[in-house]
Amino acid sequence: MNDFTLFDPMSSAVRSTLIIFAVLSIFFIIVGRKIKKLDPKKTPKGFLFGCIMIVDGFNKFITEYMDKDKFQFFGAYLFTIIVFLATANTISLIGLTPPLSNLGVALAFTVMTFFAIKIAEFKFISVKKKVNNLLGEVKFMAPILFPINLIGEVSTPFTMGLRLFVNLLSGVVIATMVYSVLHWTLGIFAGLFLHAVFDIFFGLIQAFVFLMLTTINISLATDA
Amino acid sequence: MFETVFSTMFRFAEVTNAGLAWLGAGFAVIAGLGTGIGQGYAAGKAAEAVGRQPDAQGKILVTTLVTQAVAETTGLYGLLVALILIGKS
Repeated sequence: MNDFTLFDPMSSAVRSTLIIFAVLSIFFIIVGRKIKKLDPKKTPKGFLFGCIMIVDGFNKFITEYMDKDKFQFFGAYLFTIIVFLATANTISLIGLTPPLSNLGVALAFTVMTFFAIKIAEFKFISVKKKVNNLLGEVKFMAPILFPINLIGEVSTPFTMGLRLFVNLLSGVVIATMVYSVLHWTLGIFAGLFLHAVFDIFFGLIQAFVFLMLTTINISLATDA
Repeated sequence: MFETVFSTMFRFAEVTNAGLAWLGAGFAVIAGLGTGIGQGYAAGKAAEAVGRQPDAQGKILVTTLVTQAVAETTGLYGLLVALILIGKS
């Protein structure tokens, strides 16, 4: 696999990340400007109606797992995450390297999740309650539980980043293995199956699982 | 008879660092066993739950996907260790 080099020469995973960022930003800015200009009294039509339906369905789905006030704060972040991951995991269909097959990009998601959980804690629960959570319910067990809880603070985001990375990497490794064994005429037919399973199916499931785990972790960190 | 078998075996299969790394990679992937059991158990229980309550299928599906992803983690660590070991050789 390729190394994580940011500048010269740019790693192919970072290049496709930047391409996805640029395309999605332009797309969302255009759609957002169009939706702002809409007349609230009329029923929207066509493409914009589809966009509004998607966002509405997403809101309804997430509020089942998250409180309303937390959703107000984190909804935009969660929607950005799912859209970027769904695009990034299926990007190899058009020939770019999937960004998450690079450990550097996957660990960036670790850092983002870590800070998201920390921000949620600072915003929604008091410091006293957080210290209580870290020490555990039973006070005389605190010397044992405190280190374990501290590890848990770091290991949850780390697990989520690594899960994204290894899932994508296993797909890339298996596809590369099959392509290197087969002649290219057979490779076309095998590719049909391989990319349908590893890119579309597993990629979308991983994006969804990352969204759900982020939601549940934020809810758990702020509830208790 | 055994002497000839062992002598031929050890003449051709010499123990090297790379070979041990490949062997370790093979052992690391045994972690997939536990992942298989865990995911199968989650899927079986989900099927049971859908059979008992067909109306709640959507919510059960979401819960199953998340729990299976959590059970998958240890197997993925095994795969990661195997990949690192292959890279060593």
